[in-house]
Amino acid sequence: MSQEIESRMRAALRPVAPPEDFSQKLLARVIADRPTLPKPRRIFSESARPLMWWLTASLAACLILAVGVQRHLEQQRLQQSGLEARREVVEALRLTSQKLNLAYEAVKNQSTSLGDEESGV
Amino acid sequence: MKKRSLPIFLVLLAPALAWAAPNPKLAIPEFTGLAQKATESVTITLDPALLAMAGRFLDGNDPQDAATQEIIKGLRGIYVRSFTFDKDSAYQQADIDAVRAQLAAPGWNRLVETHSRKTRANVDIYIMVDNNQAIGLALIASEPRQFTIVNIIGAIDLDKLHKLEGQFGVPKLDIDLSKTPAPGAQK
Repeated sequence: MSQEIESRMRAALRPVAPPEDFSQKLLARVIADRPTLPKPRRIFSESARPLMWWLTASLAACLILAVGVQRHLEQQRLQQSGLEARREVVEALRLTSQKLNLAYEAVKNQSTSLGDEESGV
Repeated sequence: MKKRSLPIFLVLLAPALAWAAPNPKLAIPEFTGLAQKATESVTITLDPALLAMAGRFLDGNDPQDAATQEIIKGLRGIYVRSFTFDKDSAYQQADIDAVRAQLAAPGWNRLVETHSRKTRANVDIYIMVDNNQAIGLALIASEPRQFTIVNIIGAIDLDKLHKLEGQFGVPKLDIDLSKTPAPGAQK
């Protein structure tokens, strides 16, 4: 029984030479059965392209505007500080000059009048 | 070895020399308490950077600005505290004494000390001279209702300061500055 099975299996599994066109058919089949890759999806449709362009342009414009405004504010702040410093210099010199005059006036009065003014010069 | 030790010696000596150099900058208190009592107070602190910035905003074509520009050219600092009160004796002499005490330090010379009985105004002008060049000015003016402390640091030209008379709304006085004594004459 087992011999019969063995002989039948041998008969079935005997090496058989492939037909002439085997490799050609196989290649043709492989090519035909190749899974098709999905087409890359476009993120934006054709109709959305101008919108995207405007969006990018607006973003760039906003960026340029922000930098410009920041520079302008910085310039304005510098100008305010400069004008404030200038005002302080003028005020300081005005006060100094006023007090120097007070001293000079006392010196002058002391040298011209007798006894009314007392000066330690 | 000697050549190598010389730079080290100089580096070590530099801080000592800097410490020993006359410093015309006074430590002026903020007078916060007095500022609250005063009807008008002026606090001006101008360091070299602010003076340079102010100089850029002065118009050289304007006579007043040009005079100011000329004066601040050699300055390294201007510090002013001025308080005006609505009644007499609102401040104590002790408030000023802390500043006056600093003027007893070496280097400071009293240039002018005036006292007017009529206006009860005292004005003391001190000057610090280094290498025959005025490097600091201190002015203390005390009046019944006002006191002012001015500290100017840098190369001060008193002639130029005097020329300010008639500008900034201050009346011009016909005073011969050459009659004022030389710095140090009063000390």
